[in-house]
Amino acid sequence: MALLQIFDPKARAVPIGIDLGTTNSLVAYVVDGGVECVTDCNLSPLLPSVVYYGAHGATLVGDDARTLAALHPRETIVSVKRFMGRGADDPETRRLGPYDFVAPREGESNTVRFRVHSREVTPVEVSAEILRELKGRAEDQLRTVGGAVITVPAYFDDAQRQATKDAARLAGIEVLRLLNEPTAAALAYGLDKGRTQGTFAVYDLGGGTFDITVLSLDDGVFQVRSTGGDSQLGGDDMDRAVATVLLREMGVDDFAHASPELVRRALDAARAAKHRLTEASETTVTVARDAGEDFSRALTRAEFDAIVGPVVERTGPACKRALRDAGVKPEALDGVILVGGSTRVPLVRSFVRELFKHEPLTDIDPDQVVAFGAALQADMLAGEGPREDALILDVIPLSLGIETMGGVAEKILTRNTTIPAGRAQLFTTYADNQTGFVIHVVQGEREMAVDNRSLATFTLKGIPPMAAGLARLEVTFRVDADGMLDVTAKELTTGVEQRVEVKPSYGLEADDVERMLMESFEHAESDLAARQLRERVIEAEQVIAATQKAVGIDGDLLDEDERAELDGALAALRDAVAKGDRNAIHHRTEGLDRAATPLAERRMNRAVKRAMSGHALKEFEDELDARPTHPHLVGDGHTH
Amino acid sequence: MTDPFATLGVPARFTFAPGDLEQRHRDLSRALHPDRHVHSPPGERRMALERAVSVNDAFRALRDPLSRAQALLALHGLSVQEGDRAPAALLMEVMELREDLDAARAKPARIAALRETVAARVAAEESVVARAFDREGAPDARDLAQARDAVVKLRYFRRFQEEADAMEE
Repeated sequence: MALLQIFDPKARAVPIGIDLGTTNSLVAYVVDGGVECVTDCNLSPLLPSVVYYGAHGATLVGDDARTLAALHPRETIVSVKRFMGRGADDPETRRLGPYDFVAPREGESNTVRFRVHSREVTPVEVSAEILRELKGRAEDQLRTVGGAVITVPAYFDDAQRQATKDAARLAGIEVLRLLNEPTAAALAYGLDKGRTQGTFAVYDLGGGTFDITVLSLDDGVFQVRSTGGDSQLGGDDMDRAVATVLLREMGVDDFAHASPELVRRALDAARAAKHRLTEASETTVTVARDAGEDFSRALTRAEFDAIVGPVVERTGPACKRALRDAGVKPEALDGVILVGGSTRVPLVRSFVRELFKHEPLTDIDPDQVVAFGAALQADMLAGEGPREDALILDVIPLSLGIETMGGVAEKILTRNTTIPAGRAQLFTTYADNQTGFVIHVVQGEREMAVDNRSLATFTLKGIPPMAAGLARLEVTFRVDADGMLDVTAKELTTGVEQRVEVKPSYGLEADDVERMLMESFEHAESDLAARQLRERVIEAEQVIAATQKAVGIDGDLLDEDERAELDGALAALRDAVAKGDRNAIHHRTEGLDRAATPLAERRMNRAVKRAMSGHALKEFEDELDARPTHPHLVGDGHTH
Repeated sequence: MTDPFATLGVPARFTFAPGDLEQRHRDLSRALHPDRHVHSPPGERRMALERAVSVNDAFRALRDPLSRAQALLALHGLSVQEGDRAPAALLMEVMELREDLDAARAKPARIAALRETVAARVAAEESVVARAFDREGAPDARDLAQARDAVVKLRYFRRFQEEADAMEE
């Protein structure tokens, strides 16, 4: 009997992994236990992260846009990632490049804005174009695409992560997780190449960002031990260094007034020469002048190495610090993994070899390894596949704290703290009758707040007048598994609490993203109410399914009354879903949540107990048996 | 502050076999990490997250010997803080070490030798802490006083190590 394939409207949505790179972006997925990248019609997995804005609002992304960059340098945004989460006055806007930036304006969110034709675009919107294109490619190949794991440099700060999430939202992509790029690479090596044990360094030099991560792999758990880097250091800086030499030799001294076309041509020529010098020991570089004869010169690899040497050496201190933070000597490493296109440069390889005293691992294509890891993580999060036991324990790359008296940055969560993480700290007033606290959230290692990156500022108001030092302000920092920060503040003597509306210092505000969403063509077309109802229904169906599954496994944990209440809440929600009543769905989802609390608590306790008995400690097996319950854990899930 | 030993389900002792705490942290993370609860009901997701946070916090507190020693003192209501008076002999010793470190600037071999000296001192003080907390039964007042003094010293040695790190950077 012949089997016919029937189109199934409920076909499995394939979760995808996206590497949103400075130079190139990729999308990958897991199929039949292996990982594959989505390719274009030329079978290339790489989508150049280049967006061209046409005069009438149309955009081109990828190779076509790259081709247009030399002709339309201001309307073609290249390496937009370097501007993500950056303020309009960021030093990056003053480095060699062809763009026309919009000066920062009062009363507007502080973000980089490119002027293209008569409009302005933010890095978030440019990135959204790239993400939309990637999603489209994936849909062409997979038909139904699910949520995505999107990778970010480990050294991305909170504002840069938020910008990435905003871009995904604009592109209509559900973000399952933000995953650090070096961790993604390690996941690909660990899971795909069957390495199960050991301590590895991941050296990730991309087009615009540098990360170094030290992690250990122990029976399927990838524990990041330390991370460091520079989110504005990469192959682009090599190109700039070479282009600077070329322009000088062409007699151009004032780069700010050079034509953007010339700057773009010099950068492109530098990049192409860099690629050729990976294999060749000498090449010819040619740059067309604005008028007159082309400029041409020979460039040897030795000369190239001398020009880009300082860029490569800038990665050294972060590597040493990461090793020290992890408490690992280079000799004790089991391997060094190379990630990112810039690690193809021979000088980078010899630098890494010398620094880490290991021959670097390159058996997975350094351009694709991050996307592979993201796809594996997406597959794991979707709860399918055979890799159930793998788990990533990542860290925060930079310390998080608040500004205290005298402008000192008080660290609340220190760098390399495992996430999810949380900590509360007490502060007090330093002036009499102070009725408000200004809380300035900063990220970085420097002692003074002003030297660190400002993430947000908010004010806790409504505190009754008290003498200095009497108020008790508890500030709680939480960092979730995406590495995103959430801050709450509470005055303990009065109980004034503020769930903080953190006003970001950089990037877009929530309203901006909402507005952009409304403006974007596809959403303006659809009916808002219908969309909201659909979202609620999907959420409710997920909650129902999850709760039923939990009852099925651990129903014995409930007594009869509790079980009846839970069943009632389930039935009520199902009824609301059937009727399509948006408000009722909302309230009954909350009702089900409440009714499921006893089950949730006991299931948690059971899971913890099981986890603790899984591996008895080597030395204390007997003692542990004698203390079967641990009072602080059972029934107390609170941290602070 | 919850008891980090209880959170990890390990006995409140100073000495652990290598890898034991890490193993427990991994096992608990497998049960609690948000990645493991993507498909759990919302209430369980929240609870798992809370507990994952406390497990990470407890692991951080116990992984480092000095902070583990402080956690043990805290269980007995003792703490060591910035500005606590240190014995004159310790201040002298640390001052001399710092002078030696200053003189060793840019001489890696001498910095390494100093590090070794300090590492031996750290080991000695850690064994005092271990004596107090690793044996059967609760530590007595004398044990606790000695352990507390040891922690004061360990803090000074830690700062010295950090200065040596900074110098090498």
